[in-house]
Amino acid sequence: MDFDIRPYDLSSAATSWMVLVGILTLISVGLSFVLSLARNGVSGVAIFTTGLGSYLGDLFSLSPKRIYALTKLTLLEAIRRKALLVFVVFAVLLMFAGWFLTDTNSRPELQVSIHVTFLLTAIAWLILPAVIFLSCWALPEDIRIRSLHTVVTKPARRLEIVIGRMAGMGIVSCLVLVVMGVIGAVWIYRKLPENSRSQLTCRVPVFGQLYFFDADGQPAATGINVGDTWMYRSHIAGNSRARAVWMFRDVNESSIVTDTIGTGDEAKTVEGLKLECRFEAFRTVKGSEKSVLQGVQAQYTLSSNPREEAFGMLSQGEALRPVADALRDGQFRNGSDRLKELATRVRTTPDELRPADYLGLQNGLAVAGVILKEMKLPALLPVQEKFDAASSRGIALLRVLQTNNATGATDKPPYAEFAESLETLAGGILENADLLHESLPKLEVPLPAFHISEYHEGAAENITVIPRKLRFAADYETLARFLSGIFEKWSEEGKLVEGNAISSGLVDSLQKDASVSPLNAELLATVLNEQLTAGTLKISDGKLAVADGRRWFAFFDDLIRKELLISQDTEGWLIEKDLLTDLVSNGFLRVEVACLNDQMYLGMARPDLFIRKPDRSFLVGYTKALVSIALMLMLIIVLGVTVSCTVKGPVALFFTLTFFLVGQFFHEFMMKMLSGQEQGMGTLESAVLIAQHRNPQVGMDVSSTTSAVLKGADKGLEGVLRVFSNIVPDFSVFNRGSSFVENGFDVPFNDCVVPAVAIFAGFLIPCVLMAGAMLKFRELEAK
Amino acid sequence: MSNAVIEIRNLSKIYRDFWGRKKVQAVKSLSMDVQKGEVFGLLGPNGSGKTTTMKMLLGLLFPTSGEMTILGKSASDVSKNEKIGYLPEESYLYRFLNADETLDFYGRLFNMSAADRIRRSDELIEMVGLGKARRRQLKEYSKGMTRRIGLAQALINDPELVLLDEPTSGLDPLGTREMKDLILRLKAQGKTVVMCSHQLADVQDVCDRIAVLFQGELKVLGRVDELLEMRNETQMRTSSLSMEAQEDIRKVLEKHNIKNAQFTSPRADLEELFLRTVRESGERPGRRFSAEEIAASGKGGNA
Repeated sequence: MDFDIRPYDLSSAATSWMVLVGILTLISVGLSFVLSLARNGVSGVAIFTTGLGSYLGDLFSLSPKRIYALTKLTLLEAIRRKALLVFVVFAVLLMFAGWFLTDTNSRPELQVSIHVTFLLTAIAWLILPAVIFLSCWALPEDIRIRSLHTVVTKPARRLEIVIGRMAGMGIVSCLVLVVMGVIGAVWIYRKLPENSRSQLTCRVPVFGQLYFFDADGQPAATGINVGDTWMYRSHIAGNSRARAVWMFRDVNESSIVTDTIGTGDEAKTVEGLKLECRFEAFRTVKGSEKSVLQGVQAQYTLSSNPREEAFGMLSQGEALRPVADALRDGQFRNGSDRLKELATRVRTTPDELRPADYLGLQNGLAVAGVILKEMKLPALLPVQEKFDAASSRGIALLRVLQTNNATGATDKPPYAEFAESLETLAGGILENADLLHESLPKLEVPLPAFHISEYHEGAAENITVIPRKLRFAADYETLARFLSGIFEKWSEEGKLVEGNAISSGLVDSLQKDASVSPLNAELLATVLNEQLTAGTLKISDGKLAVADGRRWFAFFDDLIRKELLISQDTEGWLIEKDLLTDLVSNGFLRVEVACLNDQMYLGMARPDLFIRKPDRSFLVGYTKALVSIALMLMLIIVLGVTVSCTVKGPVALFFTLTFFLVGQFFHEFMMKMLSGQEQGMGTLESAVLIAQHRNPQVGMDVSSTTSAVLKGADKGLEGVLRVFSNIVPDFSVFNRGSSFVENGFDVPFNDCVVPAVAIFAGFLIPCVLMAGAMLKFRELEAK
Repeated sequence: MSNAVIEIRNLSKIYRDFWGRKKVQAVKSLSMDVQKGEVFGLLGPNGSGKTTTMKMLLGLLFPTSGEMTILGKSASDVSKNEKIGYLPEESYLYRFLNADETLDFYGRLFNMSAADRIRRSDELIEMVGLGKARRRQLKEYSKGMTRRIGLAQALINDPELVLLDEPTSGLDPLGTREMKDLILRLKAQGKTVVMCSHQLADVQDVCDRIAVLFQGELKVLGRVDELLEMRNETQMRTSSLSMEAQEDIRKVLEKHNIKNAQFTSPRADLEELFLRTVRESGERPGRRFSAEEIAASGKGGNA
């Protein structure tokens, strides 16, 4: 099962529901009117009106006391007719299940899964038959033995009888469920082997969006297909620039967990972000037994990369790639030159570029403008306007190209104007190269590599806790930003100067306040003193500043380029960053996954990596799963009682069982057929093909008229199926909760419990109204 | 202003099959009224339409044509049921409930308060003589007890109109007598009773007016005493006459040209005999009565 289910759109569901119920109401009322006319002639109008008025009157004169009386009656009936004997079967099952389920050698998470699956399945499937029989048989039996006659000859409205029956049976099933649930919870806590009890928890996953970069580092829609017929996972190649990138949203303090890393004396408590993965390792070469067991090496890299976001979209097509690569790498001067070259090509040889290149260029320019605007930095405004202007010219150009293509016109596309805007943009980028470089910082934090094995899905090896405070070896760009940030602040505070020299306490401050290693702190102080002596730095007004007026970032960037700040430690320049403040931007966290082994592949799908928020108690998810089961049982009761208002017990049973089985096992299939996801022919067309021993590729051997008739009839049948699919409830929704808990996940309230409640309520209201009407206008003594 | 509790005009009922084809016409253009405070009997052989008529009055069946009002309301109006009590032919009650729970359940359907339900239940259980069996589930009841609790549920709301379908069916003569006494008590309280029955003697005993249906049609409607009166004969009842006295009377009658005078001792009906036997057996257990004793004790009627 996919645990990354799509969000449930309640408002859209409510709208569809209202439309459907409205249509059904109109059809029902219209049909009743026609039947009344057909049976009674002209007087049918009065009879219909009186009946409708009486029914509406009943709706507004419902008595809670009478409904309570009927509910209590149903409860007593269930108890005294020994419906609760189901407990005995449950108790027997639980007593002996342990013999077959418990296996201390099995993996702990499997132990938990097996026990929880057994328990929830036993609960649901034991109550289910009792509920189906009770709901389908109670009213017809009342009518058959005429007990109902003594009720309907009292002031009880028939709608009240329906509601009372449904409520009573619902309460009975819920009571049974609660008792079984409590007994089951106790059973599971006692029965689970000691080593598995820690796994009895509810993980709370936060799934992200997945993107891919191919082996050349270019954005790609999917990864590589390694030949699996199951297309669920895409693969990335090892030892290449291929990456899978997850973008998680809403990462904040609530995502941080406190976890223990290590075992025994080495165990320590860490506050951080918990990532859990279940990638697939795909090996193309055999290794040693050890390497097979270890699997493939993978590595996470946390990154904050606004340049990728801003200019990644430009990387569509070979013609644009030089521009995109330069800008993504922060080489803005180079990027400006490449853009000028592109502008020249547009001006002089515009036909060398394909329309798709122009479209990609325009899209990329538009996205860059939007991202720069979102950064809300006034200094970037002029560049952002130039991106927007170039994008607008691009749109004008595309319109002409599209019109020419669609109509065959030969209007001259405004290539020159577009090229001019690109040149203006290139100038703007060149002019603001330093500013862009400083404003679009790329921060990458590689985490230690780990192994992914084919055989340990869900195991502890796949869990990584990223500490809140990250200490890592900075690359040059990050180092320049780190140092410039410190020195800008300390310079403003006047901490860097003592008289006419650099403060002697700088080394101490770097070690204590900036966590710089002693060797590197000494190196930095020495280099700064040399720069002061050389006149690159100056002291004015008691503050240390760059002599030529440049910013500190440019100064340090320069020093790094001149290789004056090569780390004196073997570990490199270790710096510390805060996960939430430095790597999470507007709630978004970007996690790149790389495969490190050559000739190996890592397969992944969107739900394969998720942030694990603080775990919830097993009982939370268990309760939600039971609620889902309860809603399913009550929906069956509603359907059973509704159908039994008009037909006898066996027929009601047949209808209800059909609804349940189709809704449980075939609803998804029906929806796939109707949406075209499931390939296949129409019913009649398939029948003809089978009879003629032909396959769908060659088609039917019939005349075009016959074919048209058959296909038309198939369309009609498809319409029937469409109506049916809208009427049959999707019962699989009610089992989702159980699947989550069985696999150790919390049940998402909005995407799992809410749909279950909505489906139940969506059927409850029309069913109650329909059942009330059917019972009211039914002759109980008809012969 | 009409004093009619039930008004029926041109009522017809046709039973149809699944396809709408006519199977049988159970009631044909029936028109009649039931007046407030009277005991009205619906008579007829099996299949004459009397139960169908009653079920249409209760809303269990819908008329094919015609109109009915009960207590001034349409038969399809559920609110009319607030003042109606109904005892079905068989007591179709919930067999898993006991007497108290049964009456409490039906009391709730009338939105009665808890205090009223308890009070009324006590009264009715006392009245129908089920005090000792009130905690037993109805499935353990005999037929007579089931009829009694059925009657109690029909009266839970102190109805103005009581509809009884074969009220004495399944009852022993003692129960039958009690039922008839109860019907007369209801009448004395000003309530209207409509009953349909095959037991003609019962109907004769309690009904003010009757309607006789045959094959769905109304054949006879009127007061019982008027319908049964034999206007071409005269009956005189005295203490036992000697042969001489009989001869003298015969001569007087012949003088008035009356020739077919008969002199016999009157006979009690079987019901009276049964009731008397039961009563006296209670007073003198273990004794068997001769025909003479019974005949002698029958003098003066059934008192």
